[in-house]
Amino acid sequence: MSVSKKIVLLGHFGVGKSSLLRRFVENTFSDNYVVTIGVHIMKKEVVVDASNKVTLIIWDVEGTDDFTKYRPSYLMGASSFVYVFDASRPVTYGDLKFNLGHLKEKHPNVPVHIIGNKVDLVDADEIKKALEEQEVQHSYLSSAKTGENVEQLFKDVAAQLLENA
Amino acid sequence: MTTDERLEILKELLLTNEKEPEKDVYKKIKALENSQKNLSDRIDPLLDERLQQFVTTMPETLGPVITETLKNEIKKSQDAVAEALFPIMGKMIKKYVQAEVAKLSDSINEKINATFSFKSIFKSKSKERPTAAMMLKEEYKAYIEQVLVVEKGSGILKANFAKNQTMDEDMMAGMLTAIKSFAEDAFEKGEMELERIDYQLFTIHLQNFSKYYIAVIVSGIYDDKFKDKLEDVLLDFAQYVINKEDLDDNIIFAKKLKEFFTDERI
Repeated sequence: MSVSKKIVLLGHFGVGKSSLLRRFVENTFSDNYVVTIGVHIMKKEVVVDASNKVTLIIWDVEGTDDFTKYRPSYLMGASSFVYVFDASRPVTYGDLKFNLGHLKEKHPNVPVHIIGNKVDLVDADEIKKALEEQEVQHSYLSSAKTGENVEQLFKDVAAQLLENA
Repeated sequence: MTTDERLEILKELLLTNEKEPEKDVYKKIKALENSQKNLSDRIDPLLDERLQQFVTTMPETLGPVITETLKNEIKKSQDAVAEALFPIMGKMIKKYVQAEVAKLSDSINEKINATFSFKSIFKSKSKERPTAAMMLKEEYKAYIEQVLVVEKGSGILKANFAKNQTMDEDMMAGMLTAIKSFAEDAFEKGEMELERIDYQLFTIHLQNFSKYYIAVIVSGIYDDKFKDKLEDVLLDFAQYVINKEDLDDNIIFAKKLKEFFTDERI
């Protein structure tokens, strides 16, 4: 079975959405910050198991501090959202609950995966503690720079999509 | 005697000593002003004359030097200049010619439609004497390069048909959807939809259906007549070729699309 699915990467400015995507698709990383304007689309086929694969069409939407201002048409038709925050900047996960509420209200049937990126910049135990204190539930702590958990994240997204297909 | 008059007398008495130097300074300033004016009166016309001479003689004296320098520089880097200019000029000329021919073709079509009766056109066709518009059409015919059927909203490609594969069709479907969505969001005009994107020598025709839209990449002259015909063909395709079940089966959809457009219906 082979299907194509649209995934949307969301999050504040500079949390590393594009870097995660580049690491996943091209296996590259750059320290230079290039702001995404509008949307950038990349795709990658993920082999879930011997007989199933999913082509992820990943929309890397420009970052925003106000989730209510995301263009609805960019989010339309998404099969899954990947919400990225910067584990080294609390301001990028301080409003997580509010933003998730907004997404759930507008897209009740779309699963959301929450990723804490740039984990290479912080102490893993400390950040886990900080996230627990703020009751931030996350699917993964990743690093686009080292590649930690990036492949696994998208593989899980693909597997979940296949289950729901 | 008023207060002012008294004050004047007092000033005269107290400032007698300062009066003389003040007068001297005043005289010197005046003298300087006069000499500056005299100098200016003499020099200004000379400067004007020199400047005028420079303006007149500059092209003669410096012109050849500048031209020669430029010529040499261009000659030295002839390949680079040609390389830089050729594609730009070529595309500009081609685009201009295409646009002008499209205008001419439309204008001839209008005149023919207005002037000739159906009978005379039929007669002309039956004698196999092509009209000017038909000749032009044949020469600058529009070609369908690629057809993409894209799911609305998600931008997921449902089917694709291309004579020559160019870029990744999934990415193209996604980006077209993003551009389309952006334009439609930005204008916020209710049901209005983006129908066409011009890209140098190509036109991307966008036609919307309820669950998907079709993007047709056309090279050559995309005029009103071609647009009308293309719209009809796509409507026929949606109405008579595709059924509800095909929307969920991308393989069948792609097969039908390929069969339909390989026949060169336009």
